[in-house]
Amino acid sequence: MTRRFDLKKIMMDNLVLVVIFLLVIITAIVEPNFMSEANMTNLMRQFGPLSLVSLGMTFVIIGGFIDLSVAGIISLVAVVTVALIDPLGQVNALLIGVALGAGLGLINSILLLTCGAMTQAEALFITFGMSSVYSALALIITDGATLHMTWLTTPQTIFETIGSGTVGVLSVSFIIFLVCLAILYVFQGETHAGRSISYTGGNKVAAILSGIPVKRSMVIIYTISGFMAAVGSVVLFSRVTTAAPIIGRGFETNAILSVVVGGTSLKGGKGSVLRTVLGVLLVTLLSNCMNLLGVPPYMQVVLRGAVLVLAIWLDNRKEL
Amino acid sequence: MANDNIILSIKDVHKSFPGVKALDNVSLEVRAGSVHGIVGENGAGKSTLMKILSGVYEKDSGTVAFDGQTVERTTPVESLNRGLSIIYQEFNLVNTMSVGENIFLGRFKEMGGMRGTHAKARELLDSIGSTIDTHRFVEELSAAEKQMVEITKALSFNSKLIIMDEPSSSLTSDELKRLFQIIHDLKQRGVSIIYISHKLDEIFELCDIVTIMRDGHMIDTKPVSEVTRNEMITKMVGRDIENEFPPRAHCAGETILKVSSIKTRKLHDISFELKKGEILGLVGLVGAGRTEIIRAICGADKVKGHAVSIGGKPVKIKNPASAKRMGIGLVPEDRKLQGLVLPFSVQSNIAMASLDRISRLGFINRAEEKAIALRQINNLSIKTPSPMTKAVSLSGGNQQKCIMGRWLEINPSILILDEPTRGIDVGAKYEIYVLMKQIVENGGSIIMISSELPEVLNMSNRVLTICEGRITGEFNPEDVPAQTIMDAAIG
Repeated sequence: MTRRFDLKKIMMDNLVLVVIFLLVIITAIVEPNFMSEANMTNLMRQFGPLSLVSLGMTFVIIGGFIDLSVAGIISLVAVVTVALIDPLGQVNALLIGVALGAGLGLINSILLLTCGAMTQAEALFITFGMSSVYSALALIITDGATLHMTWLTTPQTIFETIGSGTVGVLSVSFIIFLVCLAILYVFQGETHAGRSISYTGGNKVAAILSGIPVKRSMVIIYTISGFMAAVGSVVLFSRVTTAAPIIGRGFETNAILSVVVGGTSLKGGKGSVLRTVLGVLLVTLLSNCMNLLGVPPYMQVVLRGAVLVLAIWLDNRKEL
Repeated sequence: MANDNIILSIKDVHKSFPGVKALDNVSLEVRAGSVHGIVGENGAGKSTLMKILSGVYEKDSGTVAFDGQTVERTTPVESLNRGLSIIYQEFNLVNTMSVGENIFLGRFKEMGGMRGTHAKARELLDSIGSTIDTHRFVEELSAAEKQMVEITKALSFNSKLIIMDEPSSSLTSDELKRLFQIIHDLKQRGVSIIYISHKLDEIFELCDIVTIMRDGHMIDTKPVSEVTRNEMITKMVGRDIENEFPPRAHCAGETILKVSSIKTRKLHDISFELKKGEILGLVGLVGAGRTEIIRAICGADKVKGHAVSIGGKPVKIKNPASAKRMGIGLVPEDRKLQGLVLPFSVQSNIAMASLDRISRLGFINRAEEKAIALRQINNLSIKTPSPMTKAVSLSGGNQQKCIMGRWLEINPSILILDEPTRGIDVGAKYEIYVLMKQIVENGGSIIMISSELPEVLNMSNRVLTICEGRITGEFNPEDVPAQTIMDAAIG
C-alpha cells in the first residue's frame, strides 16, 4: 500500500470534514462577513432545531426506515405547546408538548406495524400521509393563524431561556443539543435497544430469525424520532417566539439530507449520530454560505438536491 | 486469432479485495466445443473469476481473450452480446413476467412484438426439447424449469460459451439427466460450456477437461479421463481427506420435541418427534415443504392449530425470539439473505442471538461480546483476519460457521439446520459434519434439511421423507437402501 493511497482513503473517509473545511475557507476569503460574530450566532441558531430533528432521524434511517412526518410533528407540537401555556402553565405545556411528539411517533410506528409495512418505501408513504394529518391538525387548531408568544399573559421564562439564554459562551439550545447527542450516542453504541435497531436495519430477516425484537425496534425508532422532533420544535418556536402552523415545513427533507450527507446509509444498518452532527453542520453551513455568497434561493434548492444525490452516489461507491 | 480452437483464454489474471487475494496469477484456456469443469472449494476464486468474465468485477491485471478478441473492460450486457452467458445458481429471471418475456427481456421490438417474442421463445425451447409454455409466469416454475429458461435465454444471444455456476444444486436426479442431455446437445452444436460444481460425480460424467482451483490459484488442468476422484479431492483441499463423513453418532435418548398436526396451505397434518441426541433428516425435493415445516416450528411463519411440546411440556412458540428462549436455534437455508448481516463484523454476527444474555439493564457488556466471538471463532476455527472483519468478506464455509457459532453460543437443545452445507466446499463440509456430531454427543438434538442425499443418509439417525407437504415415510438410513428413501421422497 502506497502513502498516496492512504491519503486518498483518509480523505474519502472524512469527506464531510474536508468539504466543511473547504467551504469555510472559500466563503471566509470571498465574504469576510462570514467570520463575524453575528453570522456565527446566526449559524448556531440555525444549527439547533435541525440538529435535534436529525439526531432522531438518524435512528429511523439506521433502522432501515424513513420518517417524513417530522415536519407535521414539529408544526403540531409548536402550536399545541404555545396554545397550552396560558391555560396550563409553562411547565405543563412543555411536558405535554414533548410527550405529544413522542406519542405521535408512537402512532406512526403502530400504524406501520398494523399495516405490516416492513420496507422503507411503505414507511415513506405512511409517514408522508401522517405528516399531512399532523400539519392539517395544526392548521385546524389555530384556524390557520400564527400564535405569538408575546400575546400570552402567563410567564414563559422556560421558553425564553431555551430560545435566547446562554451559559457562558454556549447558548442553552446548544447545551440541549449536546445533552441529547451524548445520550443518543451512548444509546446507539452501548445498549441492547440501540444494537437491535442496527441489526434491524442491517438485515431484517436475519434479525427476526435470530430473535432480535424487530417490531419493538420499530416502535423505539419512531418514538425517538417524534420526541426529537418535538424537542427541535420547542427550541425553534422559543427562538422565533411565534408558532406558525407551518413552522415545521421542510424539516423532513433537511433532516434526511443531513443524515445521509453525514454518511448514514439509506440502506440501513450503518451510521452514527456523530456523523449526523457533521452532516447538519455541512447542510447549515451550505445554506449560510450560499446566502452570504448571494446564490439565488431557487438555485440553493437545486444545489441542496445535488448534494443529496451526490451523498447517495458516494455511499454506493464505497461498497464496491 | 492465433488459435481458432480456443474460445476463451485467460492469462495471468490477478484480483484483490481488501485483505484478500481472490485470484493470483490465474490462467485458463477453454477449447471451443468442450465441456470444461471447474472445481474448487468455496473461496477458491471460481465465482470471482466468473464475475470478472461477465464484467461484474474488473480485474487488477492480466489479459482475457474471448473468441480471439482481447477483452479489456466489459459489462454484463456487452459480454452477453459477445456470446458469453453466465447462469448463476440463484438465477436471473423476472419472476412476475412470462417465460417468453424473460427469454427476450428488453428485445421485444426486435422479435416483432409479443407474438414474435413468444413464437421465437417456443422455437428455442423446442430446440432443447423443453415443453414449458412460454406464457407461464416464471414464479410458477420449478427450479429445473427456471434453469431451462436461463439456458434458452443464453441461446437467444447466440452464446458461444455458457458458464453454469452450480447448476445441479436444486435439481432431482431425473432433472439432472435432462440437463446433462441438453449440455451434450449444446456441445454438438459447438457451444462451449464451463461447468462449475462441487459434485465430483457430475464432473466425471459430464466434463472433458477439469480445472482445479484452490485459494485463488490454478492448481491443475487435466483431461477428466486422466484424473482420479481422490487426486481431485486432494488437489482441491490441499490435503488428503480419508472420509467424506465422520462416523455416525448414536446418542438418541428420550423424546425432546413433539410436533403434532401442522396444517397450512402447503402442509398436510405434519406430526413427528425428535429425540435427545438425535440427528433427524428431512428428505424431499425443493418445494416439498421441508423449510415450511421448520419455519412453522420456529414461529417464523404464522401457523395456527398445531401443538408443540418440548421435553414433555406443551409450549407456545409465537416467533423466533420465543423459539430461541425455549432453546431452539435455526440456521436458515440462505446464509446471505436470512442468516448474516453482511456489512457487520464477524463479532456482531456471532453475538447476535446472545444479545439478551450479554445485556445488563439494557446495556451491552462489550467485553462479553468480544469473548463470545473469540470463543466461537476458536471452537469452530473460523478463518477471519479479526473479529472485526466484515462478514461479507469471509468465504461461504466460514460465513456458515459464523451462523452456527451464533446458535451454539446460546447452547440450544434443538438446532435446526436448513441446507447447512449448501455451496460449501468439501473441507468445510466435513468440519460442519464433525461439529454436528459433537453437538449430539453433548446432548443436543438436530433437525437437518438437505438436498444432498448422501449427506442426510450418512449423518442422520432417522429420516423423514416429505413429499408435497406430507410425511411419506420414516426410515433408518442404516438399514434401508438410499433408493427406497428417494422413492418415498418423490412420492
